[in-house]
Amino acid sequence: MKRPKTAFFDFACCEGCQLQVANMGDTLLEVMGLIDLVEFREVMSEKWDGDLDIAVIEGSITDLHATERIKAIRKRSKVLIAYGSCATIGGVNGMKNSFDLDEVGDCVYGEGRWFFPTEQTRAIHQVVPVEYAVNGCPVYIPEFLSVLTAALQGIPYAVPDYAVCIECRMNENECLYDRGITCLGPVTRAGCNSWCVNNGNLCYGCRGMVSSPYVKGMKQVLEKHHVPIDFVVNKMDMYNKCRELDRNGR
Amino acid sequence: MHDIQYYLLKKRAFSGFISRLAKVQPLAAPVRRGEKNYAFELVTSANEISLPYIPTILPPKKYFFPQREVLLEFDTRRGLHAGPVGVAGPMTIFGVHTCDLAGIQCLNMVFSVRPRDHNYLIRKRKITIIGLECNDYCDEHANCALVNASLPSGGYDLFFTDLGDYFIVHVNTQAGDDIIDAVKQFQPAKEANLQDLAALRERKRVVFRNEVALDQRFLPALFDISFDGPVWKDLDERCLACGNCTQVCPTCYCFDIRDELNLDMATGVRYRVWDSCQTEPFAKVAGGENFRKSRLARQRHRYYRKFSYPFAKFFRFFCTGCGRCSRACMAGIKLKETLTSLISQGGEGPWKR
Repeated sequence: MKRPKTAFFDFACCEGCQLQVANMGDTLLEVMGLIDLVEFREVMSEKWDGDLDIAVIEGSITDLHATERIKAIRKRSKVLIAYGSCATIGGVNGMKNSFDLDEVGDCVYGEGRWFFPTEQTRAIHQVVPVEYAVNGCPVYIPEFLSVLTAALQGIPYAVPDYAVCIECRMNENECLYDRGITCLGPVTRAGCNSWCVNNGNLCYGCRGMVSSPYVKGMKQVLEKHHVPIDFVVNKMDMYNKCRELDRNGR
Repeated sequence: MHDIQYYLLKKRAFSGFISRLAKVQPLAAPVRRGEKNYAFELVTSANEISLPYIPTILPPKKYFFPQREVLLEFDTRRGLHAGPVGVAGPMTIFGVHTCDLAGIQCLNMVFSVRPRDHNYLIRKRKITIIGLECNDYCDEHANCALVNASLPSGGYDLFFTDLGDYFIVHVNTQAGDDIIDAVKQFQPAKEANLQDLAALRERKRVVFRNEVALDQRFLPALFDISFDGPVWKDLDERCLACGNCTQVCPTCYCFDIRDELNLDMATGVRYRVWDSCQTEPFAKVAGGENFRKSRLARQRHRYYRKFSYPFAKFFRFFCTGCGRCSRACMAGIKLKETLTSLISQGGEGPWKR
């Protein structure tokens, strides 16, 4: 089998998800045996401007320059993998969408802001078609490997469309609500093996929401636990603000 | 087997009993998990064990039917070669409440139906079960009396009842007898001990009363007329479809089968993983059709799978009264309340008591 030409690209992000690949350990050698890595700024100097079999995209689209660049990458790539929360759901960059763009520009760049025109944050699929998504902040490496093997076989990878609670119960974690802690697991997509809760943290909703979250029911649950709704909306918006762009119809 | 059916284990010998038992083969028992919960875990000494305990987060089902279980390994380089995978070795589970014994009995029936589930049956054969009687209710969520699971009715090798400064131990199988012989901490029960046990059971018959105002014989009939009842609409208003209720249920046995390819792109495993009828994609089929798209249909299905369908097939309720679904529900859906609503909405009928 000819190894597919593969490149990693980053847009607005912290590059932490790519770091997950670099930190993979021995498994990275196996992955390198499967793909022909032609560009990956974080770990190598070489560049590639030819056609690609697989483009792995980290980060979200936040300005005109990025929009043009992702469209160009899409044109020369057979398969595009949105990689990490910023790419799959807009992630923390989406928080910008809660504010007026001029105000945001002023706050960050002051008088020089006209040199840095900015746009509403969008996830990759809100700009160009995407074949695969690896959710998470950062990505969960076992899931990345599942997506990669699916892509190499040319078969679909289905991100679970049910709550993190399903995996969290299978891992027999104590429900955080039993300890008076607000957790976004009940409305967040599984697939991470409840990684955060297993390690003493809580769910921040970094994988995006299930396809039909029951908002009214969730509000009732929060009321029962005396959690103010604004607090939770802010928590949800930390990763999921760009979801509004999906709802308004692309 | 010996003629003696009842033995004593003095409380001061309990610690030695657990240590020796754990040396015979791996031993699981209830331990503290988090602030309010318990879980079955492997232990080697008595001070790890937490007694008394309310039902664990997951029932002991996880040892018979693990959350994720590899069914076979394949190698596509060898002409689609596929072979079975060795199943775990023998173990003992100590401290299984009567509700969970009932749960295992239900699963035994399900997985023995042909085609038999060999993975389950092999594990079952290798597991020794030591039951533990509940002298009182664990909490307000339990409904074990409704389903006749508050008193022991088999399904164990040994059964412990706490009678103050000693346990009285019922021997039910050869495997139980073997433990009595191997551990050497037991002495034959005397007539007075059996009277203590009988007195406890008499007291329990007063404490454990049917938790729902209905005659359980008529539960299936009540469900027969309730399919379009308003109670399901109420559950629809509340359910988040998080799946907690089915994940913690001792008699839910649905699973999904998936293949996982290794990075050599040639070998891999086929595994099964617990699935839940409460999730959106569970009843989705090719073409996108979803047979139970609404939370209403999914919650209703869960209840019928406990009180109606298995009664028609196995003549037994698949609710063990453990209360886990009510305890785990984010939205506060309580099984006892649902049944009470069903009764009041069912109008006049033999189920009314």
